[in-house]
Amino acid sequence: MAAGHKPLSELLDEMALKILMIEPGDLSIVGELLDLIEKLLPGRAAADTPMVVQHMAAAFKGALEKFIMGELADSAENYDLLGQCITEMQESVRKEGQPGEKILGQFCDNMKKIGFFLEPSTLLGGQGATAAGTGEAEHDTPVEKECAVVSPRVDAGQAPASGLPSQEAIPDFLQDTDLLAGFIEEAFEHLESIEVNVLELEQSPDDMEIINNIFRPFHTIKGVSGFLNLKTINRLAHATENLLDDVRNGKRAMDSAVIDIVLTVGDALKSMVEDIKNVLQHGPANYKDTDISGFLASITQLQEGDNGAPPAESVVAPELEALPEVVESEEAEPQAGEEAEPVAPARSAIAKAARPVASPRAEATASPSGRPAADSGQKKIGASIKVDVEKLDALVNAVGELVIMQSLVRQNRLVSRIADPKLTKDFSQLTRITSELQRTAMSMRMVPIKQTFDKMIRLVRDLSKKSGKKVDLIMEGADTEIDRNMVDSIYDPLVHMMRNSVDHGISPPADREKVGKPETGTVFLRAYQKGGSMMIEIEDDGEGLNTQKIRKKAIERGLIGESENLSDFELNNLIFLPGFSTADKITDVSGRGVGMDVVKKAVEKLRGKVEVQSQSGKGSLFMIRLPLTLAIIDGIIVRVGSERYIIPTIAIQESMHPERQNYSTVHGRGENLMVRGELVPIIRLYEKFGVESTYTDPCDAIVVVVENEGRRRALMVDELLGKEEVVIKNLGGLDVPGVAGGTILGDGRVGLILDLAGVMANTAD
Amino acid sequence: MEAASVAQNLGQGAELAGKYLTFSLGNEDYGVGILSVREIIGVMEITAVPHTPSYIKGVINLRGKVIPVLDLRLKFNMNHKEYDERTCIIVVEVQGQTAPVQVGMVVDSVAEVLNIAAGEIEPPPSLGSSSETENILGMAKVKGEVKILLDVDRVVGEGLLQQFAA
Repeated sequence: MAAGHKPLSELLDEMALKILMIEPGDLSIVGELLDLIEKLLPGRAAADTPMVVQHMAAAFKGALEKFIMGELADSAENYDLLGQCITEMQESVRKEGQPGEKILGQFCDNMKKIGFFLEPSTLLGGQGATAAGTGEAEHDTPVEKECAVVSPRVDAGQAPASGLPSQEAIPDFLQDTDLLAGFIEEAFEHLESIEVNVLELEQSPDDMEIINNIFRPFHTIKGVSGFLNLKTINRLAHATENLLDDVRNGKRAMDSAVIDIVLTVGDALKSMVEDIKNVLQHGPANYKDTDISGFLASITQLQEGDNGAPPAESVVAPELEALPEVVESEEAEPQAGEEAEPVAPARSAIAKAARPVASPRAEATASPSGRPAADSGQKKIGASIKVDVEKLDALVNAVGELVIMQSLVRQNRLVSRIADPKLTKDFSQLTRITSELQRTAMSMRMVPIKQTFDKMIRLVRDLSKKSGKKVDLIMEGADTEIDRNMVDSIYDPLVHMMRNSVDHGISPPADREKVGKPETGTVFLRAYQKGGSMMIEIEDDGEGLNTQKIRKKAIERGLIGESENLSDFELNNLIFLPGFSTADKITDVSGRGVGMDVVKKAVEKLRGKVEVQSQSGKGSLFMIRLPLTLAIIDGIIVRVGSERYIIPTIAIQESMHPERQNYSTVHGRGENLMVRGELVPIIRLYEKFGVESTYTDPCDAIVVVVENEGRRRALMVDELLGKEEVVIKNLGGLDVPGVAGGTILGDGRVGLILDLAGVMANTAD
Repeated sequence: MEAASVAQNLGQGAELAGKYLTFSLGNEDYGVGILSVREIIGVMEITAVPHTPSYIKGVINLRGKVIPVLDLRLKFNMNHKEYDERTCIIVVEVQGQTAPVQVGMVVDSVAEVLNIAAGEIEPPPSLGSSSETENILGMAKVKGEVKILLDVDRVVGEGLLQQFAA
């Protein structure tokens, strides 16, 4: 160790000490560190300081600056990593400036972990080093030229660094797929929260807390994407963050222009993250780079329009110059929409629709009222961890089997003969534990429907802008929990019905005023639990269904006869039949005729029901009834010969021993049963399923009256065995009409769960 | 399972060489690739499923999992034989539409696991109708006996994984 290195190693030792003293939240020491490290920078350092150490110092300083800027997490962990970085610098000094790859690798790894992207080659000045876009590059030694730490500029997101092309050719972010997958998931969450908060902000544009809530996720996305080398995302997020920062600092007002651009950027980011996900799943060949120059330009314009060019954004200027000069911030946004067309096609339309509306307040039409503004962030109490859905499903399955096995053991002939009070007690204890376990496992799969509901806010906002209508969205019961597996499946039908309500239900403001309604329409979105079901209601105070028009159309299509007499309720529910759309004009929102039948199918797939009640001129109410969970069904076990089937309890109306006088046939074949004054066709389950049965005369047997899709049937069975909650299992590749699945019954055998739609469908023809 | 494509460039037989689980149906000996076999279980009570072809015996509870069971005799249009204590269900795993699925195959009796060399395998004979031989990967001659090597994916896939019309 040469004496000449003394000051250098002393400097480093001092830094190592300082690092130890840093407490998260205390940036003063970071400032002192910065002073120290400056002495090691290329050009400033003592002549005998090894080049590689100078480069390391440059990178280190870059990281420190980001801590100060708040771009890197101010956490003890990160400071530990910084400490390690210093150790590695010390090591390098000790090795006389020949640290070798290992140490440099560690240094870079630690930097990366902190969130500061760095390649070892940069430190060595090797060939792999990328662009020389930083100040250090101006140095004359060739080594130094390449040393330029790419990260401080690009990573810190100072928008497109001078040397870099605006689009990258190769996705070089695939190095750590685990991290990337984590980022994708997080990014979606952040983007969602951004959207929710932005929409909330429309209600109270001056709420700093909300602006912060929007700022933070952008910030995180920017940070992590930079770390993962997702430059396009990083740049866009950064630019938006800058814009928001201006708002935060009071440099410009939070007006509709900003809100619109934030929403659009959110969409664009979402689609970019989607692309990355695609790359991750299907290989780099799927990589698409998104052109974000349009966004960057319009963000800059927004910033410049109000307060001149802030230095941070000046780098975007060259691109901006190519565009026609537009200073008025309001005007700038449609352009952004067109520029970025592939990512946000809806964008320009929104912006255009937005123009006639004057004040930002007035256009904030989608109002999530009845929802405290702060609840988004504060709802979660206690720690939570993320678990793979597959693992959760496996757990739920295993618990289901445990419950079955337990009852198998209990029902064992020999075991049940044991008259030991201790055993009985232990058994009841075991039962208690298993059912507790089952409850917990099930509840783990439940999530509040809020997430899905929140997406509707945006939808209604966009729809109302697009169609020039004013709509208030009022959500209730967003905390109601729903099976995680159902969340995705319920989204599409909900979107469809919301569209339907806004597009068909609510009339334009002028029309509404004519009929004496407030010019702003209201759509309610409610969720609540009722019995063992989850109810979702969508209610609007719009025109309601035109029952006469439906009747006319139904007759036209031959769905009902001229003379058939249907109640209004029945007529209204005809809209769920395929190809039925009453919309006169076909807008691009809905009304193409692929309508409510899709909703109905989707809901029935979830073993739910959908109905509509409507009063012409007053509004409509759509009700979706869903089971709380898909994994368990409440069913009545029936016996037919030696087979046992499970009929979903939700469909059962009653069961009875038919009396001879109520039994009638048509042409000696079609069998009917008079049930409370109504003829109900009988289905002989044993015939249907081709099994031997004990009884062949309906009057000896038992019939179970079931209702599905508004049709009633009497199922003939031999015996009712009991009511049970059963765990639904698929039949392992068999897909059979009339059978919804299987379950393992108390004796270990498989029982089949009836699919009533299937059972009835076959009898119709 | 590239069994199907393997069958096409037969002749070399090299790709087919490997370990096979052999079993009997009537007087005939069959083999299935050991890699698709999950386990062998005795016959248990089978729950019949309506609206399925007769060779699908129904579903069983395999330790909490519901899996379909097909009777290979009936699948190959052979005479039905009462199940006895030698009757076995071979549980195989094949690629379903989305995920791998397990399926049980009822056979008369299970024999042994044989290591069959490439040289012992010949292409399937042409029996006139192609549908009869489609299920067959090749014929193996081992110690003077002929084993029919089955393409499990086809045998199971064709009969099972389609949707049954009512």
